[in-house]
Amino acid sequence: MIEVQDLRKEFRVMRHREGALGAVRNLFSREYRLVRAVDGIDFSIVRGELVGYLGPNGAGKSTTIKMLTGILVPTSGEVVVNGRVPWRERRAHVSRIGVVFGQRNALWWDLPVVESFDLLRHIYRIPADRYRSNRAQFEEILGLGEFLHTPVRSLSLGQMMRANLAAAFLHDPDIVFLDEPTIGLDVVAKERIRCFIRRVNQERGVTVILTTHDLSDVERLCRRVMMIDHGRLIYDGQLQELLARFGGERELVVDLAEPGDQVIVEGARVVSQEGARVTLAFYPAEASASDLIARLAARYRLADLSVREPQIEATVRRIYEEGLLDQARSAEDTARA
Amino acid sequence: MNTLRLYSVLLGARLRSQMQYRGSFLLDLLGTMLGTLTYFLALAAVISRFGGIGGWTLWEVAFLYGLAETSFGLMDLVWGGYDYDFFSPRIRSGEFDQMLLRPLPLPLQILTSEFALRRLGRIAQGLAIFALSAHLSGVDWTAAKLLYLPVVIASSMAFFAALYVVGSTVCFWTIERLEVFNLLTYGGAEMLSYPMHIYHPWLTRFFTFVVPAAIQVYYPALYFLGKPDLTGMPGFMSFLAPFTGFGCLALSFAFWRFGVRHYQSTGT
Repeated sequence: MIEVQDLRKEFRVMRHREGALGAVRNLFSREYRLVRAVDGIDFSIVRGELVGYLGPNGAGKSTTIKMLTGILVPTSGEVVVNGRVPWRERRAHVSRIGVVFGQRNALWWDLPVVESFDLLRHIYRIPADRYRSNRAQFEEILGLGEFLHTPVRSLSLGQMMRANLAAAFLHDPDIVFLDEPTIGLDVVAKERIRCFIRRVNQERGVTVILTTHDLSDVERLCRRVMMIDHGRLIYDGQLQELLARFGGERELVVDLAEPGDQVIVEGARVVSQEGARVTLAFYPAEASASDLIARLAARYRLADLSVREPQIEATVRRIYEEGLLDQARSAEDTARA
Repeated sequence: MNTLRLYSVLLGARLRSQMQYRGSFLLDLLGTMLGTLTYFLALAAVISRFGGIGGWTLWEVAFLYGLAETSFGLMDLVWGGYDYDFFSPRIRSGEFDQMLLRPLPLPLQILTSEFALRRLGRIAQGLAIFALSAHLSGVDWTAAKLLYLPVVIASSMAFFAALYVVGSTVCFWTIERLEVFNLLTYGGAEMLSYPMHIYHPWLTRFFTFVVPAAIQVYYPALYFLGKPDLTGMPGFMSFLAPFTGFGCLALSFAFWRFGVRHYQSTGT
C-alpha cells in the first residue's frame, strides 16, 4: 500500500547573520546551510495497518507526511502510495486519502459543519447512500449532532477536530494521515477520537498513519510504531517489543494469602509491602513475569496477582535521551564484525 | 461539465460565507461606490477646468475611464482569489497546503476562495460612466464596434487577471508585500483612465511593450472614438487587445505552474 525507499529531503536554509551589520550583509550575499530533514528512510505499510509515527520535534515527521501526501517533492528516493507517486498524480492520489492536521481546520470557516460535509460530497463525488451512512455513523461515534449546524468558526477546538476527523473519512479513503490530531484536547475529546480511529481502522480496514507526541494515543491505538530522529528511522516494529527491549521496570503486584515476613524473590526488588499486598519491580530482560510468579508461588501462598506494563512515556524518553537505539544498533554491528 | 458545476457549488459556498456578514458587506458596497464616484468627480473637475486633456474632451476621457474601471472591476470580482493580498496569507496559514490536498484544480479553489461582491460597486460606477460617455462622446456605434466592445472588455479582464496571477505566484518566493504589484494593478488601472499620449514617451512605451496595458484600453478607445493616434503606432494596434490580453494570461499561468513546482520543492 505504501512503499518508501531511501527517501531524502534536504532544505537550503539561509544562514542567519547576527546584528545590524549582519542584516545588511544578508541583503547582498546569502549563505546557506543544508538541512537534512529526512535522511534516507525505508519502510512499507500494508493495507489496514494502524501505525504510530513518533519522533521529537524537528525529527522529520511532518516532512515525511508532506511527501507521502504529495505536498512536498523529495530530494531523492521513492514513494509509492496505492500504486501512485503522490506529487505526480496529485488529484488522483489525493482523492483516495484523508488528512487531518492537529489544531488546523480544513472545513469552510463561516459555514455550518453540515454544509462543509455537503461540499465534500460534491468534491469527492461520494455516492448518496455512502454519504448518508458514513455521516450517520460518524455523527454518532463522534457526537457531532450537537453542533452540526454551527459554523466552524464558533466551535471549540475539540468540536472542530471531531468535525475535521469525520470529514477526513467521509469519502471512504484508503489511507488517512493524522498529524497530531489530539493535541490540545481534553481527555474526553481524546478518548472519543481514539475510539473513532480504532473503529474505522478495525471495521473499515482504513490504513492509518498517526503522527503524535501523545504516547497514550500510541498505547491505545498502535501495535506498530516507527520512530524517527534526525531524519533517520531508528525503530520500526511492534510497540510491545520496543517496550520489552528498552522498557523500564515492569511491576508485579501480588496479594499474599496472609500477610507474612519480608518477601524475597530472586530477580526482582520489593518496592513496597503493605499487609498482604507486595509490589515488586523487575526488568523484563532480567526475569520474565512467569518465572517470578513461579518462584513466588513456590515459596508463598498467593491469593491474587497482576502485572503492570512499563510506562511508555518513560521508555520513549529514555530511548531519546540515552540514545538507546543507537547503542543497540552499534552493539549489533560490533557483534557482527 | 463537472468543473463548471463544482465552480458554481464552491462559489455558492463563498457567497453564503460572505452573506454571514451582511452589515459589513453593505458598508463595503457603499464605501466602494462612494470611493470610485469621488475619484471620478475629481477627475471630471480637473478635466473640465482645463476644457479637456491632450485634445480629448471630458466625455472621451470618461469613455477611457469607464472602460478601464469596468474591466478591472469585473476582473477583480471574478478573479479576486488571485489578488495577492488574499493569496499571500493563505500560504503562510497552511490553507494552500489544504488546497493541494483536495482533488480539485488549484485555480478553481483559488478563484472560489474569494468573490468580492462589494466589487459590484466599482463595476456599477464604471458601467454607468461608460454608458454615459458612450452616448455623450459622440461615438459612431457601428455593428463592428459593438461586436468588438465585449472582446476588448474580456481581453482587458484577462490582462489584469494575468497581473494578479503573477503577483500571487511571486508569493511563493517572498513573504514580503510587493507594492510594485499594487502599483501595476490599481495604479495601472487609474493610469489607463487618461489618454496615453499625455504621458512621457518612455512611460507610454513601457505600458505598450513591456506591460501592454495601453493595448488593452487606450488603442481600442482610439478606434471606438475615431481619434487620431498621436503616438505614432500602426493602425492595427487597436486590434491587438485580445492577443496581448489572453497571451499575457497564458504566460502568467505558465509562471504560476512554475511557482507551484517551486513551492513543492522547498515547502514553507
